[in-house]
Amino acid sequence: MESTDEVLCRSVADREPGAFDLLVERYQERAYRIAWSILRDREEAKDCSQEAFLRLHESAGSFAGQSKFSTWFYRIVVNCCLDHQRRRRGWRRLLGWRDTHDDPDEGDPVERAPAPFVDPVESVETDRRMTQLWSAVEQLSPQQRAAVLLQCKEGLATKEIAVVLSLSEATVRVHLHRALATLRKRVGDKA
Amino acid sequence: MNSVHVEELLAAHARGELEGAERARVEGHLDGCAACRETLAAFRGLIEELGAAGPPAPPIHWGAYRAELREKLERRTAPRSTAWTAVWRPAPALVAVGLLAGLVYVGLPGGGRGSPTGDRIPFENLILASRLDMIAKLDVVQQLDVVEDFDVIDHLDRLSTGEG
Repeated sequence: MESTDEVLCRSVADREPGAFDLLVERYQERAYRIAWSILRDREEAKDCSQEAFLRLHESAGSFAGQSKFSTWFYRIVVNCCLDHQRRRRGWRRLLGWRDTHDDPDEGDPVERAPAPFVDPVESVETDRRMTQLWSAVEQLSPQQRAAVLLQCKEGLATKEIAVVLSLSEATVRVHLHRALATLRKRVGDKA
Repeated sequence: MNSVHVEELLAAHARGELEGAERARVEGHLDGCAACRETLAAFRGLIEELGAAGPPAPPIHWGAYRAELREKLERRTAPRSTAWTAVWRPAPALVAVGLLAGLVYVGLPGGGRGSPTGDRIPFENLILASRLDMIAKLDVVQQLDVVEDFDVIDHLDRLSTGEG
């Protein structure tokens, strides 16, 4: 029978061989996808998601099992990404660089989209709307973007997102509401 | 109609997360508020669209990813504090300080570039000056067998006066 994530995490804490590799294989894609959605850079997403696994290895013993393993681990991933962004912003400020995310009106958001949405099955109009929508998502604040992604792509409930982002449920609701209201304003309602 | 809008609860309501009194309050308000109903429909549409597809993360080679992670883990868990590493730990800082001092020196007026002032003559110039006689007698020096003719080199100055 396949071990649950929680059992595997305890095995990692006990340094049982193979347990860490199994958890990595289970979560590598989700960790990388979440990191990429926040950072929008392949190398940084790879490094931050790997850093999250290293932190998992170090602190597996502190997982109390009060929440789901996935919630606990997503929190580590998000924290790694937000820490990384803070450091990057600090260096940019120190070196006098301008962060393009500071100015949402900078350039054409469609051109700045790193990976245009392509779905040959859908109509051209739908493609255009989705490209606009994800470009608009990219312009949200990192916390709003993380909240939207965790809810819409990873299927987490507001309560779980609050744990992952270390925020109250009320704050997550505000983030989600503002994110959706901003997206609606930028791309309009679906025809 | 309840005059207090419930917009901040609409995203949660759209996902069916609200319960009890909160849910009843939102539903009661929606019954009489067309604006909030419209917002709810728009939010539902957006949540559906965002969940359906998205820009794919750039592809990655998972085997290489795990190998790199394993390497990082080994580096991090390897024992670090040997006596040798303790001795060398300040080395990067010392190198950085040395480089900084060099840059500051080069950047100063007369420091590192420009003509030497006062008694300060660069060491290279002293070496060059001591070999000027060899350059003047280059045709002779080039024909010498170095091992055999140290003597001749030592007495190059006498060649010009016809001695030796």
